[in-house]
Parts: sequence; C-alpha cells; structure tokens
Amino acid sequence: MSSVVAFSVFGVDWEFLKPYIVLGLALGGVYALSGVGIVVLYKATGVLNLAFGAVGAAGALIAYWMVNHTSWPHWLAYTTCVAFGGAVNLLYGVVFGPAFAKRDPLVKMIGTLALALILLGIMAWRAPAGGAFVRVLTLPSSTHYYTVFGARVNLTQILALAFAIALTIVTTLFLRYTALGTAYRAIANDREITATLGVPVRRVEASAWLGSGLVCGAAGLLLADLYTSLDYTALTFLVISSLAAALIGRLESLWLTLFGGLLVGFVQSILTPYGSVTAYRAATPFVLSIIVLLWMGRRRVVVFAPSTR
Amino acid sequence: MKSRKLTAGVTLAVVGIAALVLAAWATGGGSRTQAAGGIVGSGKASATKSVCGMGTGHKATGSPIKIGTINMLIPGVDFTTIAKIVNAYFECVNDNGGIHNHPIKYIQYTEQLNPAQESTLAHKLIESDKVVGIVGNTSFAECGTNWKYYEQKHFTVIGAGVQAECYSKPSIVESNMGPRYSDLGAAQALVKRGAKSLIVASPSTLSKYADANVVTYAKEHHIKGEAVPVVLPVTDANSIITHLYQLAGNGGGIILDFTPDTAPALMQAAIAQGIVNKVKWGSSTPIANEFMAKQFPQFDNKIFINQEFSNLTKKGPDSNLWRAVNHKYAPKVALQAFGQMGYMDAKFATIALLRIKGPITAKSYNNSVRTLKNIHTDILCKPWYVGNLPYHIPNNYDVTVTYDKGKVVVKDKCFAIAPVDKSIAQTRKWEKKYKLNTH
Repeated sequence: MSSVVAFSVFGVDWEFLKPYIVLGLALGGVYALSGVGIVVLYKATGVLNLAFGAVGAAGALIAYWMVNHTSWPHWLAYTTCVAFGGAVNLLYGVVFGPAFAKRDPLVKMIGTLALALILLGIMAWRAPAGGAFVRVLTLPSSTHYYTVFGARVNLTQILALAFAIALTIVTTLFLRYTALGTAYRAIANDREITATLGVPVRRVEASAWLGSGLVCGAAGLLLADLYTSLDYTALTFLVISSLAAALIGRLESLWLTLFGGLLVGFVQSILTPYGSVTAYRAATPFVLSIIVLLWMGRRRVVVFAPSTR
Repeated sequence: MKSRKLTAGVTLAVVGIAALVLAAWATGGGSRTQAAGGIVGSGKASATKSVCGMGTGHKATGSPIKIGTINMLIPGVDFTTIAKIVNAYFECVNDNGGIHNHPIKYIQYTEQLNPAQESTLAHKLIESDKVVGIVGNTSFAECGTNWKYYEQKHFTVIGAGVQAECYSKPSIVESNMGPRYSDLGAAQALVKRGAKSLIVASPSTLSKYADANVVTYAKEHHIKGEAVPVVLPVTDANSIITHLYQLAGNGGGIILDFTPDTAPALMQAAIAQGIVNKVKWGSSTPIANEFMAKQFPQFDNKIFINQEFSNLTKKGPDSNLWRAVNHKYAPKVALQAFGQMGYMDAKFATIALLRIKGPITAKSYNNSVRTLKNIHTDILCKPWYVGNLPYHIPNNYDVTVTYDKGKVVVKDKCFAIAPVDKSIAQTRKWEKKYKLNTH
C-alpha cells in the first residue's frame, strides 16, 4: 500500500520521510499554539510578549512541584500552571501596560524581556538546573500512543495540535463576532480614538493579557511535557520558534500564524535526516521568518535619500 | 468609583504577587542550613581512610590561598556541578586545618561559550584575582581558548575536560578521559555485545573530536559507523531519535553523548518511539547516576554506560569521603560522575599544595602540580599523574555500568580504552617509561 505513494523529495522517498512529517507537525502544533497566543496579545495591546516562554516555564515548574512534592490532585497542578500564566500576564498588563501604552513597540517589547529575565532569575535561584537532577513533567495523556505513518505520537501531541487549531478558530470567531473582540480590533487600530468612544481600554487590554496568559500557561504545560525534560532555559527560549510563527502571520493573521508554527515544526523535523543540513535545523525559525518577511516586502521600494534628479 | 478601582487594583496586585511568591516557593529548595554533624574528613589518612587535606578537624584561620575556576553554563548543559564539588572539598580542607592553617578561597566564574569572555576570565583570575592555581575548569571550548595563555603563565590547570585541547596540550591535565575516549569505551562495550553498527550522537560543538574514534573503531570491526552532531538545546528529540534509529537499524548500536540536561529528552523520545528494545544503547559517563536509573527503568540492562570512574556506590577511602563531602558541603548536588571529577580535581590540587616547601605562590604551586605522579585513588582504575609531558591522558582505563532497578551496577570491570588513536598508544609508552602510574 505504501509503495503506491511514490514521490521523492531531494532524492529521499516518502516512506523514509513520513515519520518526520508526522513528528514535525506534532511539534509545530505547539509552536502554533504559542504563536497564536502571542498574536492575540499583540493585536489587542501592541505588545510583542518575549516573556511568553518564561511565564509558561515558571508555571510548569509550579505544576512539577505540586505533582511531585504534594499529595494534591494532579488536575489542580495543571490548572494552577494555566492560572499562573494568566495571573502573571494580567499583573504585568495591569501594572505596566498603561505606562508603556504610548511608547513605541520596541520599548513595549523590551519591557516583556525584563519580565522574562526576572522570571528566569527566580527559576535559576529556586530551581537550579544541572548535574544529575532532571525534572520531568509527564501529562497523563502522554501514555497513550498512536502510530501514524510509522511514527508514534502520543495523545498530548495530538491535543496540542487540536488545541492550536481550536484556539485559532475560536479566537477568529471571537474577534469577529463579539463586542470584546470588536473592541480589541478597534484598540489595535487606534487606542486613543477607541478610548474617546467610551470603550474601557484598560479593562479590554487587561482581558487580552489575561487570555494570552492562560494560553501561555497551557502552552508551558504542553511544552514541558513534549520537550520531555523540564529545562526552563530551553523552554524560555522556545519562544523564538513561536515568534517566527507569529512573524509568518505578520503579527496579524491567526491562520497564517497557525500555518507558520506548523511550517517551522515541519521543516525543522524534515531536515533531520539530511546530514549536510541537519546541524543547521536550529536556524529554521530565523530562516523561514526572513524568507517570509522578504516575500511580503517584495513590492515595497526602499528609498534611502530624496532623488536628486 | 475611585475606591472600587483601587480595590480592584490591589486585588490584582495581591493575586500577582501571590502567584510570584508561589512560583518562587514552589520551584525549589532555597538556601538551607547545612546539616549538623561530625567533622567530615578529619583524622589520619591511611590505606582505608581518606581525609580532607591535613585532617586536623580545626578551622584554618590564616590568610587565604586563592584558587580559581571557569565553568561553562549554557542552555542544555550545566558544568558548574564540578566546581560545586571542588568548592565542597576545599571547604572540607578549610575545616580541617587548610593548607598549613591557610584556608583555600575558591573563585568561580561561568562562561557561555564566548571565547572573548573565556579569555577575559582567565586573565582576570591570574592577573587581577592573583590565583595561585586553576582547578575544576570544564567547558566545551575553554581549553582551546586559554591553553596557550596558561602555558605562557606556566600554569598547569587541573580540570575535567571535553574538547581536544584539554588532552593535547601541556598546560592542561584532566581527571576524566573526556567524551572522545568515553564514547569509545561505550563503543567497545556495544561491540562486545554484538552491535551491528555504531551510531554516535554528540553536541555539535564537539562532535567532530568526540565521535571520531567511534567511527574508526566501527571501521576496524567492519560495521557501519557514523557520527550525528546535535545542536543544543534539543527541541525535536523525537525526530532526532528516529533519525538515529534509521541509521543504526535493528540490532545496531546508538551511543548518546550528552549530559543529564539533554539525554533524558532523547531517552524519553526512544521510549515514545518504541525503539528501546530494537537497538543496543550506549552512553558516555554523565548519565551514570541513580537519579537517571530511577527515571528510566525502561533502559534497565539495556544501556551500557562508559563510566570513567568507579561506580558511585563503591566502598573505598576516596569514594566514602567524596560522598560524605558531597552530603555535608553540597547537599543539593546529587551524587554523580561530575561530583567525582570535582572531588578528584580538588584532592589532587590539595596534594600539590601540601607538598610545597616554602611560600605558596603560582610558581611553587604549578611546579608542584607537574611533579604529581602515582596518585592513588579508588575512584580511578589506575593511579593518576601529571608529569612534564606534551599532553596528558592519565585516565585511560574505565568500567561499563548499566541501570538495574533504580541502581547503577557494573557490567564490565576496569578495561583499557582501545588505542584507536596514537595519543593513547603514546600515553601508555610514557606511563611505562617514566613510571607515572606503575606503583
């Protein structure tokens, strides 16, 4: 049956590539999930949240502690992880959001970098990594395996992909058909005019921070499981792949962000068996986002100085 | 209206602060008071008992002797554990009379694989901090950056090595044999057990050096051999492990050369992909510890780890003292091979310090280091040495261990690392000629 499908990519047959495609899409689902969370916040507040990974990692560490050092039910640990993401983001948004509101996007972004570094510092202080000690946070869904095209995927991977798609659909509908969604879009267009129309801008922005934070907590939980060891530094910097997805979506389109996340995971995985490029797979998010940015800007003309003619 | 806003703001702040406090509290130990107990490492050294330095049981009160170190700390690899145990041993020495009543002050820096930073830190240690010696260095790149500078300054660094320069330059001597020879030891264990191929995966920064011997060894045994460089941190463990399996084939051998920061991701992926029983697994030293054994029962008697040192549970004078020092002075650090390296580095440096007649200076300390030979320890298969050699590989015999019901057990007793490259063959000639580890 498998021999019926006969196409080759770079001289390698479909049979050979199938597991990488499946595993890549599973990985890409999590990048997409994080990317969508980043874009929703950006659309509502103009803030590109670099702390997305750090907040998720901190939440996952709390969940790890609750699972391994208390007798509390595991569902409470997972819920706390998600709630932690929401609480930290909400706090940051409420305290610093108004102060940064009129600053340019770069300053807003650097503010979140500070949050990421503070959280990294706290995690390094309270949960030092290294040595023989390894933290592993395995979700119950990860013990259910399914074989798809020769690759084994677990239920968590499938849930991550499904969650990313569901989040994209729900958020798209939410932005289009609800009053709060309309307010998000209005604020994204012009914060001042929206405020003069009586929209409670701060409250609307706070809700965006909260929503994005909850997604952030959920992504942290899933990534901690899918990454298989709870390395908070690596989890913090996994935000790079999610940012690439968000850039592919031009920080605007949720569907393109979803596609971007899947593309990053797919390309990163499919390059694995190619000896000449496998060592450069880590550059996939950068390369793809650069290609997409160049493609999007292909019709624009850059003028460095007024014409003298 | 205003008060409602205020109440809401305060509530939010409280929720946020509570969340942060919970995070800080939940995520780890924090500083704890060290366990009280008897004086570790005191007494008289004998064939059955090791002590910390002079073993007097009295705190050293004189002016400090400065020793420094540079350890790599990057996402995916933390090499500060070695320095933590060096520090623990020095604290034990300081609690036992120091070096003729002078305590050792251990200055620790971390680097992030940045040559400029590595060079600056070496200069800072020697020229600004005025250390007399450098002990416990571990990095993917620091040996390469600084060996020449150490040579110019007549320093002989005692560390735990990773890259080629750590084992090919006169100014550096290591307590471990490093990934190149540890991977080879794992390859020997797998071939002995009938592996049909040898696929070795290492961090990309050291793959070329670390994996070459395995590929050569595979060729010598007429089986497929291939090295797979892996960029850290690993983000797609499932794809990588699938690739390794495709290369190895059923019945082939896969050698993982990673620290416990990275290896679990790949081992978990091997379990997820259902290939644990389809190949023979090997590993270099860093994952030979009980925490990993408990975490991965699926690999019981299926992974053959080259252990550059004695098994962690071995009874012996140095093994006993190392565990006691680890427990008392570094209780947060799990017992592991990195701890053994740190213990030995510190012990060898302490022996060199104690042998100095007259003032302790950079010159006298480093001269003393170079005279070290036939240093016995039950943590190594053979005595350790330095000597005036163009390069040093004093650790070139080791054991194979595996996981078994949460324990790490020995599978192959001390065996010689195969002389696949000429460095090992030459080293054994020097050992014989200069009687470096013969009595």
